[in-house]
Amino acid sequence: MKKIPIIIGLFAVIAAIVISSSCATTSDIASAKSGAQLWGENCLRCHNTPSPETFSDTEWDVAVMHMRVRANLTENEATKIAEFLKTAN
Amino acid sequence: MKNRIKQVALLVLVGFSTLAIAQQDTAIQVKSTLDMQVAQLPPAVVNDWKPGKSRFLLRGYSHSGLEITEEEISFVGGSFNPLLLFRQSDRLLFEGELEMELEGGETHIGLEYANMSYLLTDALTLRAGKFLVPFGTFVPNLHPAWINKFPSRPLGAGHDGIMPGSDIGIELRGAAYLGPVKTNYSVYAINGPQLNSGDIEAEEGGVLHYALVPDNNKDKTIGGRIGFFPMSNSALEIGISGLYGKVGDKDSKYEDVAAMLYAVDMSYVRNLPGISSVLDIKAQYTAVKVEDAEYPEPDEPGETHTFDNSSTTWFAQLSLRPAFVENKFFQNLEVAGRYSKLTTPEGAPWEVDQDQWEIGLNYWLDWRTLFKFSYRTISGEAGGHGGEEAEGGGDAFFIHWAIGF
Ligand code: HEC
Repeated sequence: MKKIPIIIGLFAVIAAIVISSSCATTSDIASAKSGAQLWGENCLRCHNTPSPETFSDTEWDVAVMHMRVRANLTENEATKIAEFLKTAN
Repeated sequence: MKNRIKQVALLVLVGFSTLAIAQQDTAIQVKSTLDMQVAQLPPAVVNDWKPGKSRFLLRGYSHSGLEITEEEISFVGGSFNPLLLFRQSDRLLFEGELEMELEGGETHIGLEYANMSYLLTDALTLRAGKFLVPFGTFVPNLHPAWINKFPSRPLGAGHDGIMPGSDIGIELRGAAYLGPVKTNYSVYAINGPQLNSGDIEAEEGGVLHYALVPDNNKDKTIGGRIGFFPMSNSALEIGISGLYGKVGDKDSKYEDVAAMLYAVDMSYVRNLPGISSVLDIKAQYTAVKVEDAEYPEPDEPGETHTFDNSSTTWFAQLSLRPAFVENKFFQNLEVAGRYSKLTTPEGAPWEVDQDQWEIGLNYWLDWRTLFKFSYRTISGEAGGHGGEEAEGGGDAFFIHWAIGF
């Protein structure tokens, strides 16, 4: 049961992505999307879509940073979503 | 007895309908009045209240409810998970969550997670501390009471389950686009599971225990997960996770015994305009393989036995909420169903071969507060570990009220 190769393979794939992605964190599709659209597409994948009026601007800064890490958002996505939530609250 | 159940159910329903009064407030008016007042203040006063860079948020979740089994009817709850978030700067975040529960007559406090993250680049975050292991999707993303569609968990995904919960270590995670396809990834090193040798309790020989500190050997468990979003609107995610490490105590005959875990998970959430509803499907398959070893034979001192130490579990859940219909009451209703199956090694003292069905009707008060009316039934052979004790077949009716803060 030497399945170490699988793990090494996984590492290699991830390493390849990280390296290749250092210049491709946003595809054209994603950068064309608005904050509202990104919120609508991403924030309902695990729980209900949070309503913007839940928090103040400063609270959204923390919650979105938390979700950026938890839900693996790119910086571009997180920034746009935070901006949308802060204008719609 | 039946009457009592009815009375209690009626009481809960009455209470809940009084609470479900719509709260349309005049938030917009209040805000514009505030804006006007602030504009009239001297700038120095306004600056006094300007938030700094470092921010703090206190959140979390809780639930309480009623559980009805063949043997008993009891109010449950008082479970309370405070979550503390510290945003130290644009790049540095700390998240810490406690888990408070009543167990027997005592209040039990657990550390769910406590870790810091540093946003290294657009696509890469470094995390260290105790974190929810990104293995599959249920534990890291779906278990909080206000997110889990049911009061119970899929078989094998509970606190005593066969997959990791949270553990201490270090992780690199992030997201990037491979052409048009969005991906996310995580690699980590953690202390990892520890093998129960059965020396103290022969019935537990071969079981993996998670999140024990300190580690029992020098070897670190390594693992990772990679997720793909094949559709450009991120509706579908498919993830593959793996984890490998030595699990035996150092200087014992189990020193070289290793465990390999892998999981495949999927999530699909989309609007169905035809029926004005949101469809949500989640599934995960998990396999655990521990290398062969000899464990003490229960009830026969000095004797040993071995078995193929492989366990598997999977679940699939589906929920449907007519969120876009006109009627306010029906908008907030959700029907949900989940099947899960757990198989632990044949021939082990902790052999389990169980199936679980959970079906439920949920009512959402807002995006993070819901009432769950669920029925659960478990069938199959119950063993000592991982499975649910199938007293009375494990059938139960739950009414839970869960809230996220
Ligand atoms: C990958 C799954 C996932 C996605 C996608 C996701 N969330 Fe969450 N979210 C969670 C989990 C899990 C929690 C509960 C955290 C806990 O208690 O450990 C949570 C909690 C929250 C909370 C409560 C406060 C907090 O920070 O814990 C807010 C607000 C929130 N999410 C907003 C969002 C927004 C906005 C988005 C879209 C950018 C989003 N979520 C996308 C999983 C997700």
